[in-house]
Amino acid sequence: MTVQAFFVLSALADGPRHGYGIVGEVAELSRGRIRLKIGSLYGVLDRLAAEELIEPDREEAHDGRLRRYYRLTRHGRDALAEEAQLRAATARVVRSRLGLTGAEPAG
Amino acid sequence: MSGEENLEKRYRRVLRLLPGYYRDTWEEDMVAAFLDSWLTGDPYTDECVMEFCRPTWPEVASVVGLAGRLYLGGAGAQHRNPARSQAIRYAVLAVALVQAVRGLDVLMLTAWSRHLLGWLPAPPPGMVVATPSGALPPVVWYLVAYAWIVSFLLLTLRYYRSAQIIAALAIVPDLVILLQGQFTGRLPAPYIGPWAFWVLLNLAPVLAMTAFQPDSPPAPRLPWLLALPVNYLVVVVPLVTLGLTGNSAWVPDFSGLYCILVALACLAHTPWIRSRRAASTGVWSLTLALLAADAGAYRIFSIGDYVHVPHLISVSLAELLILVVAVALVIPDAARAYAATPEPPPYPQPG
Repeated sequence: MTVQAFFVLSALADGPRHGYGIVGEVAELSRGRIRLKIGSLYGVLDRLAAEELIEPDREEAHDGRLRRYYRLTRHGRDALAEEAQLRAATARVVRSRLGLTGAEPAG
Repeated sequence: MSGEENLEKRYRRVLRLLPGYYRDTWEEDMVAAFLDSWLTGDPYTDECVMEFCRPTWPEVASVVGLAGRLYLGGAGAQHRNPARSQAIRYAVLAVALVQAVRGLDVLMLTAWSRHLLGWLPAPPPGMVVATPSGALPPVVWYLVAYAWIVSFLLLTLRYYRSAQIIAALAIVPDLVILLQGQFTGRLPAPYIGPWAFWVLLNLAPVLAMTAFQPDSPPAPRLPWLLALPVNYLVVVVPLVTLGLTGNSAWVPDFSGLYCILVALACLAHTPWIRSRRAASTGVWSLTLALLAADAGAYRIFSIGDYVHVPHLISVSLAELLILVVAVALVIPDAARAYAATPEPPPYPQPG
């Protein structure tokens, strides 16, 4: 799973979001390190939809335009949980090797 | 306001770069997201934004990148026509292989000329490895040749982005020499062949390496790795031998050699098409059709180099004819594979 896909799925973990809402949530989750361009976001969303990891939730009218919200599928939730476990395990190993086992990461 | 030029219409114009099937699914959503990134909720400010603001260059670049990946069979497009995407990747690997074989040739000739290959007879007196003349020292050209070997190996070993970066660096010196020749008039007109080489065999494969994505089905490693020494031994060694034994008149130019090799590959592939189901051969037929288009275009553009040598124009046309006849044998199978688009992935409507 690419870093971008991981963060997009993470942005949907606590509820459906529309396209630009995902961009903002990804920026917040990554503490500003990942700022998705819209073209990149829809490349990721297209792939995640094709892999049935996300699906449309609803459409809402906003300023005369329809915003489509996306949510995780059950398969997407499982894939995200598995990836999060893998990353957490890797982080633990790295912290251990760096001698940082006693300290929790800040923030 | 609907008939006037505004930010929404500017975004829709940029989105026309994307394939039609993709826009059908995502255009409205993308436009909404683009506008969300601008609009503030204040009517006066938003009116000004809609009237005067334009898509930013990073946004346009992200759409161009997405379009490139979709057309080249990268992210997302893989689900729509796997045969087409795989054929593009194989064609890129084949062109990278051609460049790597040329690099191996430079490496071996350099080693031979410096008496590093003790088991070979002494090199002919005065033998030098030809490098383009110009502003760049010969060592740059050796590095370029070796860079293509490294890029091909990395591509085969699935380090896709590293391969693309190295190949992108390797094509810069050629561009420098071309621009230098173009603007100083050092090289003779019409000067189309070298540009065609750079575009078709340098720039195109580097851009098309975008088709290699982490989720792409990998190409088999061993056959592609073996193809490098095998092609060197089977193709380059006989040609070098011909050249060194005074028979260089029989050695085709690079463009002609490219045409002949693709034509031979088409002929070798034809019995497979006839003996197997089309689905199993379609990827290779498509690959060969792409390579034939590349080789044919290069042959056509490079004929201009022989404008003062009529008999070489005849030879070039003959090579082109051989290529056209050979590729005609695989075109029907390639067309079947190209048209065999599977059902699009499901995009369930909001429920």
